[in-house]
Amino acid sequence: QEAKTPAAQPAQPAPTAALPAVESVDILKQNQAERNRTQPGNAAPVFRAIKEGGEHYSSLPYPEAGVLIQPKAQFPGQSYATTAGEAWRQYRNGPLTALGAGLLLAALFVVTLLYFVAGQIKNKEAPTGRLIERFTPAERFVHWTVAITFLALALTGVIILFGKHFLLPIIGHTLFGWLGYLSKNVHNFVGPLFTVSIIAFFVLYVKDNLPAKPDLNWLLRAGGLFGGKNAKEPSSYRFNAGEKIWFWGGLTLMGLIVSASGFVLDMIVPGMTYSRSNMQIANIVHVVGTMLMMAGSIGHIYLGSIGMEGAYDGMRHGYVDDTWAKEHHDLWYEQVQNGEVPRVRSKAPGQGSGDAPAPVKV
Amino acid sequence: MLLTRKGQTGQRSPDRFAASLADSLSRALPTMDRRTFLKRSGIGIGAGIAASQLNLIRKAQAAEGAGAGNGKIEVRRTVCTHCSVGCAVDAIVENGVWVRQEPVFDSPINMGAHCAKGAALREHGHGEYRLKYPMKLVNGKYQRISWDQALNEISAKMLDLKKANGPDSMFFVGSSKHNNEQAMLLRKFVSFFGTNNTDHQARICHSTTVAGVANTWGYGAMTNSYNDMQNAKAVMYIGSNAAEAHPVSMLHMLHAKENGTKMIVVDPRYTRTAAKSDQYIRIRSGSDIPYLYGMLYHIFRNGWEDKKYINDRVYGMDKIREEVMKWTPDRVEEACGVPEAEVFKAAETMAKNRPSTIVWCMGQTQHTIGNAMVRASCLLQLALGNVGVSGGGTNIFRGHDNVQGATDVGPNPDSLPGYYGLATGSWKHWATVWGVDYEWIKKQYASQAMMEKSGITVSRWIDGVLEKNELIDQDSNIKGVVFWGHAPNSQTRGLEMKKALDKLDLLVVIDPYPSATAAMAAMKVDGQELNPNRAVYLLPAATQFETSGSVTASNRSIQWREKVIEPLFESRTDHMIMYQLAEKLGFAKELVAKVKMVPGKGGMMEPEVESLLREINRGTWTIGYTGQSPERLKAHMRNMHMFDVKTLKCKGGKDPVTGYDMTGDYFGLPWPCFGTPELKHPGSPNLYDNSKHVMDGGGCFRANFGVERDGVSLLAEDGSHSVGSDITTGYPEFDHVLLKKLGWWDDLTEEEKKLAEGKNWKTDLSGGIQRVCMKVHGVHPFGNAKARAVVWNFPDPVPQHREPLYGTKPELAAKYPTHDDKMAFWRLPTLYKTVQQKNIETKMYEKFPIILTSGRLVEYEGGGEETRSNPWLAELQQDAFVEINPEAARARGIRNGEYVIVSTPTGARIKVKALVTPRVAPDTAFIPFHFSGWWQGKDMLEYYPEGAAPVVRGEAVNTATTYGYDSVTMMQETKTTICNIERISA
Amino acid sequence: MARMKFICDSERCIECNSCATACKNENEVPWGVNRRRVVTINDGVIGQEKTISVACMHCSDAPCMAVCPVDCFYKTDEGVVLHNKDACIGCGYCSYACPFGAPQFPSSGTFGLRGKMDKCTFCAGGPEENGSKAEFEKYGRNRLSEGKLPACAEMCSTKALLAGDGDVVADIFRTRVIHRGKGSEVWGWGTAYGQPPQQQSKAPEGKKS
Ligand SMILES: Nc1nc2c(c(=O)[nH]1)N[C@H]1C(S)=C(S)[C@@H](COP(=O)(O)OP(=O)(O)OC[C@H]3O[C@@H](n4cnc5c(=O)[nH]c(N)nc54)[C@H](O)[C@@H]3O)O[C@H]1N2
Ligand SMILES: Nc1nc2c(c(=O)[nH]1)N[C@H]1C(S)=C(S)[C@@H](COP(=O)(O)OP(=O)(O)OC[C@H]3O[C@@H](n4cnc5c(=O)[nH]c(N)nc54)[C@H](O)[C@@H]3O)O[C@H]1N2
Ligand code: HEM
Ligand code: HEM
Ligand code: SF4
Ligand code: SF4
Ligand code: SF4
Ligand code: SF4
Ligand code: SF4
Ligand SMILES: [Mo]
Repeated sequence: QEAKTPAAQPAQPAPTAALPAVESVDILKQNQAERNRTQPGNAAPVFRAIKEGGEHYSSLPYPEAGVLIQPKAQFPGQSYATTAGEAWRQYRNGPLTALGAGLLLAALFVVTLLYFVAGQIKNKEAPTGRLIERFTPAERFVHWTVAITFLALALTGVIILFGKHFLLPIIGHTLFGWLGYLSKNVHNFVGPLFTVSIIAFFVLYVKDNLPAKPDLNWLLRAGGLFGGKNAKEPSSYRFNAGEKIWFWGGLTLMGLIVSASGFVLDMIVPGMTYSRSNMQIANIVHVVGTMLMMAGSIGHIYLGSIGMEGAYDGMRHGYVDDTWAKEHHDLWYEQVQNGEVPRVRSKAPGQGSGDAPAPVKV
Repeated sequence: MLLTRKGQTGQRSPDRFAASLADSLSRALPTMDRRTFLKRSGIGIGAGIAASQLNLIRKAQAAEGAGAGNGKIEVRRTVCTHCSVGCAVDAIVENGVWVRQEPVFDSPINMGAHCAKGAALREHGHGEYRLKYPMKLVNGKYQRISWDQALNEISAKMLDLKKANGPDSMFFVGSSKHNNEQAMLLRKFVSFFGTNNTDHQARICHSTTVAGVANTWGYGAMTNSYNDMQNAKAVMYIGSNAAEAHPVSMLHMLHAKENGTKMIVVDPRYTRTAAKSDQYIRIRSGSDIPYLYGMLYHIFRNGWEDKKYINDRVYGMDKIREEVMKWTPDRVEEACGVPEAEVFKAAETMAKNRPSTIVWCMGQTQHTIGNAMVRASCLLQLALGNVGVSGGGTNIFRGHDNVQGATDVGPNPDSLPGYYGLATGSWKHWATVWGVDYEWIKKQYASQAMMEKSGITVSRWIDGVLEKNELIDQDSNIKGVVFWGHAPNSQTRGLEMKKALDKLDLLVVIDPYPSATAAMAAMKVDGQELNPNRAVYLLPAATQFETSGSVTASNRSIQWREKVIEPLFESRTDHMIMYQLAEKLGFAKELVAKVKMVPGKGGMMEPEVESLLREINRGTWTIGYTGQSPERLKAHMRNMHMFDVKTLKCKGGKDPVTGYDMTGDYFGLPWPCFGTPELKHPGSPNLYDNSKHVMDGGGCFRANFGVERDGVSLLAEDGSHSVGSDITTGYPEFDHVLLKKLGWWDDLTEEEKKLAEGKNWKTDLSGGIQRVCMKVHGVHPFGNAKARAVVWNFPDPVPQHREPLYGTKPELAAKYPTHDDKMAFWRLPTLYKTVQQKNIETKMYEKFPIILTSGRLVEYEGGGEETRSNPWLAELQQDAFVEINPEAARARGIRNGEYVIVSTPTGARIKVKALVTPRVAPDTAFIPFHFSGWWQGKDMLEYYPEGAAPVVRGEAVNTATTYGYDSVTMMQETKTTICNIERISA
Repeated sequence: MARMKFICDSERCIECNSCATACKNENEVPWGVNRRRVVTINDGVIGQEKTISVACMHCSDAPCMAVCPVDCFYKTDEGVVLHNKDACIGCGYCSYACPFGAPQFPSSGTFGLRGKMDKCTFCAGGPEENGSKAEFEKYGRNRLSEGKLPACAEMCSTKALLAGDGDVVADIFRTRVIHRGKGSEVWGWGTAYGQPPQQQSKAPEGKKS
């Protein structure tokens, strides 16, 4: 709520003492009853009160039925307060749209640049053919649920926010009307699904994402990004610090923020009043969160697909080659070798218990 | 008012309007850039997405009719059926379905304006929640029956009751919702059944006004008009919340205010009307007389009274002055709570801005001393010389759309149509008009004594049922009741009413929305049944949009309603039902002896409405309902644009249909419109206005109380007479003797002479006496007298303040005690002192420390069943509530919007929502009376006839209201009682 | 060209709700959707109570229009802000943006299921054929095309609510203000039509915006 600062009252010239017979009253503090005495008929205080946007009497029992005009608001970065609706419009249609689009385009640009300049991160050694189960089917299922719902939300969200600027002129109102309608409904129903899936994700993945000693080093060396093509990646357990940041910052924190604001926008928070000011704030939080998240996801998806050789296999089929493990997650590889971490954690079908034999890539 | 430059500013006649409506459908407004929009956006036809969600707009009942222009479009001009302002409406009917409603800008009364109720009229054409067919209560549930069965069983039961207990065992609650014709017919019907036990809303509305004002100067009606308030320089509203109750009257007031008129509002609540005032004065409910005397005190002290006027036209003002001078400012402040300066300011405003007018309504009438309060208001106006003056007068805003008309010609227990009392002469007069034998009528009654004795009032019918038989002034208790267009929750003492309803042998409800009564009758309290033989019937009546007829607005203008649609469902018009019941009861022939019969719904015969109006025209000489023939009224309705908004006078013009020249007529021929229609009296816009010729609606005070009192003349002084009068001093009312004495007899035609011989101006069926008086000699047939400041035939000839029976101030009750009890008053014992003293002795004011008052909300009307069944209105007020001051609420831990219990000395505990608002002072609470359907916290839905429960139900304040009746008219006390308000502890 | 505007004269408005009801009647608007509302400020406070009727003001630079994700609003040459229900996706954004709370929804269901937005059309229908059945069912009556003005203003009990060409209504209002010498505040004009506050506190200038 602190985004909304009450309207700064326009400065009124103070009545000069020199003027004779002018009673000095603070007309800003004067109420209508006083005003009626000094200036009968001047209802300015009443009208000032209206502009402050309070809830007045209306016989209709609906929320905000008694609000004549929205209260004033000034969102961060705005130079003056105006009607909350107008302020929100300026904010959403202005910085949120522009910066959001900028951020997304920038992320895409960086990724493209990375691909064409740095190229794919290749395995330095040849694959051994020995595989380690990196993600159990459950883990993969949850990840893909997150990924698919996210993509659906991102796509539909982008249509809702930016569609009329880039799609509508091309495809026209009819098609865009359908698309908008579809987007909105897909988004509104998939949203909660996404929330459920990130919770499941969190539960499954949190153990290996707890901070560990090597993370600091990994971070200090920026994941070996600037070490040149053949430099060894800094050590990491199953997940490196970069992934952990994505896990904690991207998935968990942003996921929560986006979900929470999304739940408000979706009007599915029990007992909540969906006042316009609540919705405006939720929308702003949502858009800021989703932009950051989408920008982050662009990087993540790049690395998880064409950005790094072998990474996608792990997520796609569950298994990575020993070489990949050794090069990118050396400490984890050691754990597997030590038997601290089983090579295969999922139960093979038909087998009651015990380690499944390590599969070999054919 | 067409607010665009492009539009035609000229008047639109109804037919032209229909035509323009039809062709405008095909005409696209060239300035709309719909096409460009479509082109730019590329929206294809039928490209709607999620079409199911498009059902936002509920389809009009005329599915095809929605402006598609494929049916016959007709415009029917009618009048709002809610309040007495009388706003005109054009109903657009397509293929028999009411599809649209258009404002009538030409109406001089409302100029197209409406309040919420008027703007929602078309919903009556849907009537989803109406009673659709006759029903009968069988084993606690309403069952559908046929009309034949209903009429047979009801009439058989009525005849049984009459035979076993006499005709006075029946009570007929008539209606101010009926048009004049139905109201008159109902009085006739009840008379032919043989009883005077009939009444209607006026009793609990303006009966005290009618009695008080008529006894002061002649007629019990609003003297001027809403329009004429534009001529006032100051207006004082006392006990009227016009902004909610007569909203369109505010159109005239606020316009006047813009031209400098000062507006004062005196009310216990800061109402929406008060919000528009220049001075608001908060008085304690029930203390109007001290306040008014406080004003008069300053007027007399400062010599602001109109001495010449008082001398010429007022009798007994000296006595009033004596009394008033006892009301010193400190006494006034003690009694009504208004400090001297405020009272002085109001008095000065009224005195120095003449003509000034006063408006009063239920805030004054609904008290045990209502008759005295309204007279105190008259006194103020008489002292200021404001009565009989344009811009002055007493603008008494009446209630229902036709309460004025129903009072004038309808079912009153103490008079025949036209205020002809119940004396033999009156009966003979009406017997002649109705074309029946006086002796035959007499035979229907228990006796001539009962025929000439006023009946029980609607406010007390429950006591007619419940009171010990030896204490009532008729043979039998009441055993059968017909509610013919009246709600139950509008009468006080609901708990006892429930008992009375249960005790009856016969209850018949004839109403489009009978369900409040129905639910109350079907409801079982503690599972008990008082009368296993009770028979309850509901009959669906048609609304006033389903018939034609005349209706009298508050300003006495009479308007003609065209029939808009056929009676919906199985409903029948009230006059058809009267006729059909009369058939079964055996007096149908007499009922319509001189009335033309025409086919009505389903080809069944019913009395012709025009013919009924002519019967009224033929008989109602007293108040001049004689000149308003159907033809004249219809011509006025067709040509509203010819009438001036400020004066209501026709500027000149002929009705294109009939060629009738309306020049000089006042709109709606406001009564009195004397003589036959051929006399062409123009109607009387402002009563008692002697600045005009009597043939131009002028007049003087009526000589109704003799010519002298204790040696003092009651006639007007020399030089005080209406303009152009042959007699330039006061004179008595005219009869054949006076005409002969004056040598005017030969001004009558030979035929007139035959009929006028032995008659007076009220009973001369030729109208000759009136014609000669007015047209030939410029005198008023009812004489030229003084107004009576002292009404010696009332319990308090000089109005006295008396505290209410239930009050919060025992010390004041000791100073201003109420009346003594009365034994046989309107056939019933009526208590005053006993109740007041008991309350003081038992310290009721400690248990119930808050003054409870009640009244209106703009959205609902009366008992409210009709308006609460209208979803457009119902949405706007969804809960019954009590207005409670923030301070009082805080002291009780009550928060805005939560349910509270309001309890009263009757033991009732009603559950309503708290509206915490400074509208009321901490010592006062207000509950609107329009709700019903809850009974002390319980929803009565299960007791309603299926499908006929209104959209919004709530607690009726009258379930909790207390005993108390006006000492002249039996008006119920609804404005001042006491209560306590408690939080509901969870 | 006429520029359609509303003025609600708070010195006259008595909270009679005729305007709100007339709208329901003329446009068959269902329960729960209130194109026009009546609000009382300082209810019951002596000398300070004012009532105002509010609906879509048909803003000059309409915020609703700006935020609509599917651009379904359009403005007529008369300055009336209308929208296309076929395109509306029921996202509710217009209602967040509108200063006056004009946009209404038939439901307020979970998962953002609101149905199509509905608001005051200045009794000018929508993009369908003028006066057609489809137009009536979706948007209500098109009175402007019949040469009539909004039902709410035409039935206002006290003529507090004025609707029509901005110049004309401003003239009427100005005349009243001059006559009564008070009550010159034009509620909502600054917000809706972007007049500078100095002008707003005087009688409306009636300039086309
Ligand atoms: N919307 C609507 N309009 C109606 C009606 C309706 O039911 N609904 N009914 C019609 C009918 S039948 C009638 S009779 C009229 C009634 O019209 P009004 O009489 O104007 O309406 P009420 O609200 O009954 O009462 C008016 C005021 O009297 C005040 N009052 C209470 N006690 C006192 C008192 O002791 N002294 C004074 N001076 N004032 C007091 C109340 O606070 C209230 O504001 O309205 C007609 N118009
Ligand atoms: N506490 C409290 N009680 C009050 C008042 C108050 O201020 N406070 N005010 C009193 C006053 S002034 C009045 S006038 C009464 C009003 O109270 P009522 O007149 O009892 O209330 P309504 O509901 O208007 O009743 C009229 C009935 O007539 C029906 N009706 C309408 N048209 C027709 C028709 O054409 N034919 C037939 N047969 N029926 C029709 C309606 O459906 C409705 O049921 O209430 C009184 N009661
Ligand atoms: C993390 C993935 C998500 C992304 C990228 C995303 C993106 C967006 C975007 C860009 C918008 C448009 C904002 C605007 O136009 O102002 C939007 C709106 C919305 N989002 Fe999300 N969102 C995500 C998740 C969620 C979740 C988890 C929910 C709900 C639980 C949700 C519910 C909504 C709702 C209800 C809207 C309003 C759209 C409407 O009702 O029409 N979103 N989202
Ligand atoms: C098409 C889209 C996506 C692809 C191709 C993809 C790919 C991958 C791959 C290959 C991995 C495994 C990396 C490894 O083995 O270390 C991974 C892990 C992960 N992905 Fe994705 N991903 C996608 C979308 C997403 C989305 C939308 C999110 C979250 C909002 C997400 C969150 C994660 C997380 C949190 C991990 C695990 C890292 C950790 O737990 O620290 N992914 N992803
Ligand atoms: S209820 Fe009265 S003021 Fe309202 S529209 Fe009807 S007649 Fe006019
Ligand atoms: S009032 Fe609201 S809905 Fe109407 S044009 Fe302005 S912003 Fe849009
Ligand atoms: S609800 Fe409809 S009209 Fe409003 S912004 Fe969304 S799509 Fe546009
Ligand atoms: S202009 Fe028409 S649509 Fe708008 S509020 Fe008035 S009646 Fe309703
Ligand atoms: S109809 Fe007129 S007076 Fe009544 S609430 Fe609406 S704007 Fe106000
Ligand atoms: Mo009444």
